[in-house]
Amino acid sequence: MRLSKFKQNPFVKKVGFNRIILFCVMILMYVAFCLLVPGFFGKARILSVMNYVYFLGFLSLGVTFVIATGGIDFSIGPVMFCCALISGYTMVFKGAPVIVSIIMSIIIGFIFGSLNGYLVSYWTIPPFIVSMASMNIAKGVAAVYTKTQSVSWPLSTDPDNGWFRNLVSYNGFPVGLVIFLVAAAICMIVLNNTKPGRYILCLGSNEEAVRLSGVDTKKWKMLAYVICGTLVGIAAIFFVGAYTTVQPGYGDQYNNEAIAGCVMGGTSMVGGLASIGGTVIGVLIISLLQEGILALGFAKDIQLIVTGLIVIVVVYADVMARRRKN
Amino acid sequence: MSETNEAILVMEDIDKSFPGVHALDHVHFDVRCGEVHALMGENGAGKSTLMKVLTGIYSKDSGKITFEGREIEFHNTREAQDAGIVIVHQELNMVGDLTVAQNIFIGREFMKGFRIDDKKMIEESNKLFDELKIQIDPKAKMSDLTVGKQQMCEIAKAISHQAKVIVFDEPSAALTEKEIEDLFTIIRDLRDKGMAIVYISHRMDEIKVITDRVTVMRDGGYVGTLITNDCTKEDIINMMVGRVIYEDPKTESHVPADAPVVLKVEHLNAGRMVQDVSFELRKGEILGFSGLMGAGRTETARALFGADPKTSGDIYVNGQKVTINSPQDAVKYGIGYLSEDRKRYGIVVQKSIIENSTLATLEKYMKGAFIDKAEEEKITQKYIDELSTKTPSADTLVVNLSGGNQQKVVIAKWLVRNCDILIFDEPTRGIDVGAKNEIYKLMNRLAEEGKSIIMISSEMTEILRMSDRIVVMCEGKKTGELDIAEATQEKIMDKATRDIA
Repeated sequence: MRLSKFKQNPFVKKVGFNRIILFCVMILMYVAFCLLVPGFFGKARILSVMNYVYFLGFLSLGVTFVIATGGIDFSIGPVMFCCALISGYTMVFKGAPVIVSIIMSIIIGFIFGSLNGYLVSYWTIPPFIVSMASMNIAKGVAAVYTKTQSVSWPLSTDPDNGWFRNLVSYNGFPVGLVIFLVAAAICMIVLNNTKPGRYILCLGSNEEAVRLSGVDTKKWKMLAYVICGTLVGIAAIFFVGAYTTVQPGYGDQYNNEAIAGCVMGGTSMVGGLASIGGTVIGVLIISLLQEGILALGFAKDIQLIVTGLIVIVVVYADVMARRRKN
Repeated sequence: MSETNEAILVMEDIDKSFPGVHALDHVHFDVRCGEVHALMGENGAGKSTLMKVLTGIYSKDSGKITFEGREIEFHNTREAQDAGIVIVHQELNMVGDLTVAQNIFIGREFMKGFRIDDKKMIEESNKLFDELKIQIDPKAKMSDLTVGKQQMCEIAKAISHQAKVIVFDEPSAALTEKEIEDLFTIIRDLRDKGMAIVYISHRMDEIKVITDRVTVMRDGGYVGTLITNDCTKEDIINMMVGRVIYEDPKTESHVPADAPVVLKVEHLNAGRMVQDVSFELRKGEILGFSGLMGAGRTETARALFGADPKTSGDIYVNGQKVTINSPQDAVKYGIGYLSEDRKRYGIVVQKSIIENSTLATLEKYMKGAFIDKAEEEKITQKYIDELSTKTPSADTLVVNLSGGNQQKVVIAKWLVRNCDILIFDEPTRGIDVGAKNEIYKLMNRLAEEGKSIIMISSEMTEILRMSDRIVVMCEGKKTGELDIAEATQEKIMDKATRDIA
């Protein structure tokens, strides 16, 4: 068969057949939107999609590590908002310089990641429960700290703090994309070529066998959550860099989108299998879809329905793929 | 048992393949009302697979199953149960926290309105026990019963399903002699009531005592069916083993008298299953651990290895007292553990041979922060060659290997780590006959090279063939120690059942 021959091609094998298919889907989607929506084609739309890609990309990269261990993190969206709210409030209402806020945001993400990881690994509380709880804690802490006010990060016209927007785009050049791709490349190397990555993938596949090989599985499992939390802290900067304002009590919607992007890219929900390249394409597709749905004239709520359905479909595909293998 | 009885269940030409394995190759099997029909064969011969096809756990690729004159195909055990075919499993499927009565009627509880009618279940259980002439309190908690009693409950449960065919899957593996006698009384009783009984076992003596006919399987194929009274033990053994010749049995210890003690365990305690166990292991020795199922051998190994917590006990490695609280500690002192359940505890099946081989040693294959994949592949290939692991390449996923080759990957993992003390827990379970011999050769070679091996095994022949010395356990206690020169099957059995009333 010609298809199986194509699958055996060294390049195809290295990149992964599924990723190539996914990439084609993305191109087709883009073409479809261009045909359906007058004026969709062009730089402006692409930059608008990119604004979504940056923050969602970091969320998705982070959650890829967690899902690789066989866990799940439903707190990433609200934690991202918590990071942006607390560090932004400190800047806007207490006069901290933006660089302090950026570091603060990353540290808050790191703390939430460590907390989640510690509870999952050492107290062996199911990840589902831990992340649901820390989602509420993140929302609550942010609301208390900001006295339930929304926070707007400085605009690029702000003489002192506006420079941070250059991280997203500099004179129309998408700096954010470069940073995101570099981050993805680092994640890819960590996952495939370093000890933590190897252990995270192996323990995701069979934790007990890895433990009985004399590996400190608790430590490495916790690390996956810490990496995730840190990336969430970075995601917060790109979110406000693109959308300026954050409101306490929100952020849940991005959980689904980040997880959808990750699983769509070939990371298995039961753990052990992860593809950073796949996650990147998955994030592009989800972001393109959000933009496309709005451009087609549907209400924002339709986005929720669509991503909800996508999560079900891609996870089901993952389940079926595994069943066939067995 | 009358010869004229029609077969109630006939399986013809049953064929079943799994990826890479032809598990059942056109197998025939039938059983009549009022007979006990033995199904025999080595591990991996396909006995269990055949029974799983019968009860709908696996679907067959081809062939025909006729039950009471009609062709049938079950899709799950429930359907088989409803039709009257029940398996009493080797591993008991009981819920420990429920009572005996609740376990027997699980899934079909008697109801009184919205409430479960416990009283009626207890009454019905008593009726069943009376019928079987056994004494068990239906109100007792299942986990408080001995393995033998639990098995009786399984049988009671089977009968309560109005079973016409009962399959016993190695029922005696965990039983004491007294319990086995009770079991046989029950089986004879059931047979005389006209039930058809399939008895899976590889204990030759039992087969002669309890069964009417014997069907032998080998490597997934049907070898033949004999009438028990007309054949000898040797006939059956020849059919089971075929052309395979094992390593010669040991008649005396191969360990020099002055070999140093590499591992000393003193007064090890860990829960109910490990009570005050002490033993020594010497350099180049294969120390067999014998006993019935549930004797505490695996638990002892796991406690020693740090896989489970221990309550007390001292461990000395090469004369030095060491603290082992986790597998990490054990590995640090050069102890490797090869679990009886490879897929769960030994290997990461969805990962490659390379990734599995270096799993315990990754820090040795690092170049700065990165994994040195070339070195990794080199060492993996070295052990693939040395252990003659059959695989297309080093980066093949372990899931695609056969049981024997998977075992070799686990062995490679500990050899890469350079472990001097290896604990083999049921090293040949689920491994086909040919590969078994290879594993034996390999273990002997490792011992000759100076590795020290603890071998836990439930197969008496394996214990007698491989060990230099034998430790026997019973109900969590060490009940004896024998040099291979003086060890016999009878002596071991005597010690293995010593503490059981």
